[in-house]
Amino acid sequence: MVEIRFHSLGGQGAVTLINLLAQAGDLVGKHVQAFPFFGAERRGAPVKSYVRMDDRPIHLRSQIYRPDFLVVMSPTLLEAAVREGTKDGMVVLVNQGKEEDAALKGFPFRTYALDATSIALELGMVVEGMPVLNQVFLGAVSYVTEIIPLEVVNEVIRRNIPPARLEASMEAARRGFTSVREVAVAGRKEGRERTAAS
Amino acid sequence: MRLVETGNHVAAWGARLSRVEVVSAYPITPQTQVIEEISRFIDEGEMECEYIPVESEHSAMAAMIGAAAMGVRAFSATSAHGLAYMHELLHWAAAVRLPMVMVNVNRALGPGWNIWCDHQDTMAARDTGWIQLYCADHQEILDTVIQAYRISEDPRVILPVMVCYDAFVMSHTYMQVDIPEQEAVDRFLPPFRSLWKLDLEYPFTHGSVIYPDDYEEVRFSMQQAMDNARRVIAEAAREYRDVVGGYHGELVDAYRMEDAEYALLAMGTVASECRVAVDELRESGYPCGLVRIRSYRPFPVAELRELLAPLRVALVIDRAVSFGLEGPLFSEVKAAVYGNGGPSIHGMVTGLGGRDVPYDLIVDNAVAAFKGKLLPGSHWPAVRLNDHHRLVKRSLEEYWKKEGVR
Repeated sequence: MVEIRFHSLGGQGAVTLINLLAQAGDLVGKHVQAFPFFGAERRGAPVKSYVRMDDRPIHLRSQIYRPDFLVVMSPTLLEAAVREGTKDGMVVLVNQGKEEDAALKGFPFRTYALDATSIALELGMVVEGMPVLNQVFLGAVSYVTEIIPLEVVNEVIRRNIPPARLEASMEAARRGFTSVREVAVAGRKEGRERTAAS
Repeated sequence: MRLVETGNHVAAWGARLSRVEVVSAYPITPQTQVIEEISRFIDEGEMECEYIPVESEHSAMAAMIGAAAMGVRAFSATSAHGLAYMHELLHWAAAVRLPMVMVNVNRALGPGWNIWCDHQDTMAARDTGWIQLYCADHQEILDTVIQAYRISEDPRVILPVMVCYDAFVMSHTYMQVDIPEQEAVDRFLPPFRSLWKLDLEYPFTHGSVIYPDDYEEVRFSMQQAMDNARRVIAEAAREYRDVVGGYHGELVDAYRMEDAEYALLAMGTVASECRVAVDELRESGYPCGLVRIRSYRPFPVAELRELLAPLRVALVIDRAVSFGLEGPLFSEVKAAVYGNGGPSIHGMVTGLGGRDVPYDLIVDNAVAAFKGKLLPGSHWPAVRLNDHHRLVKRSLEEYWKKEGVR
């Protein structure tokens, strides 16, 4: 079982993101479960969302306190995200600018970062002034978790995104996939050598 | 066809495949997606159905009663305050013996306002004469809605059926579901043939004044219908498995009970979480099983007497409370096995207002129960575990001290 917890801000598109990830997990033959924790649903408020994937049927219905992957869609949420529960060997993926990487040097988890906000802005993915990051993170999560290949991400985008936005969405996912950089190496016994893909 | 969908959309698919002819509902969080999806089906011509928009849940149930009384297959969906608001008409639908199916997304009642899951809403509707079935899985929602029409319309039953599933934990969670072929569902569920219906050519009244000479007989017939429903629910589950595919147990769904000395009992998603707890407990050396109650009304008395008789200890988990007593499921499990020997039975209340019920909480309390360390009576293991509760308690005590209250 792989468990992923997402921390985002209302309006960044995390609910769509976990829905698309669940569909992608289904396409690669996994049993999937994806759910947001609904609170006061307003733009800019912190939102937690959860994804489980397993080779066997999933019976757990509780929230995820010890995730394998922690995805933080705004740097302002990183501290709170860690307080919500971690586990040894957990891998973190955080949306932040390059200039913030140095601060995470001693971070006790293997940590990846990408500047998802800039990618979304460059591709014009903005709704009511808020950058929408779900397509970018679809690619980035695909890269970091290694459960869903980029081709499957593209297939899910093709099935869900209207033709007018299809090209931009696939470009967002591709750039998400190729823009992930490693910023802290702790927490994992074996490091992974990866090249940002083709 | 396999879909990745929310529990709510799965319920809408259940109504669609059941060839429902009238839907009358009023939107309420967390049920809204059910009727949004049905509206979409109707709008896109995928469902031949009359959607009756109403101004309240009370009217929604009134319209359901009207539709069913005209011999039409009717569907509704509601939650919490919506269910409470239609309470009077729940009695009406059941006592006038109208078959229909309604989904209830189990949500806590306010105040304080809370949109999340517990079972207080449907427990409060327990004695209305509705059959109540509880689901723990997306596929089970779909299959149970379809089965519910077979049960409700069976001439041995003719009672309305409520299909219950947990707010957000199921209603807004995406999981996979297999959508069966319409043709297979049609073979399982023939068109609704009403035993009676209102007819302008032959006018008569139904459900009017009834004197003490006969009222008790009508109520006794409802009790007999509930007794019959036990067999009909089991038959529907087995036949559905054979004709359509998909099986989730009958009145109860037993897991690893064959050699069990201990058991957990629960309904809804907490029971699903309990499966994980059972596996953990088995690994720690406790031969434990799970009895998930699918049918709360009629209550699975015979099944519980048989399954619990050989046990040492059982722990019942309630997601509701009967104030002044204990969790209602706890009371009823004890009543069902009374006089039959069997295990010592403990009860705990948790998961109210959407409080998360993780399997490790269940494991910890199960172990305490199995070791005889839980006190008799209702046990609330998750109350005031949060830091902010301790802070509030401490500052209150300081305030009382200062004011000389204590």
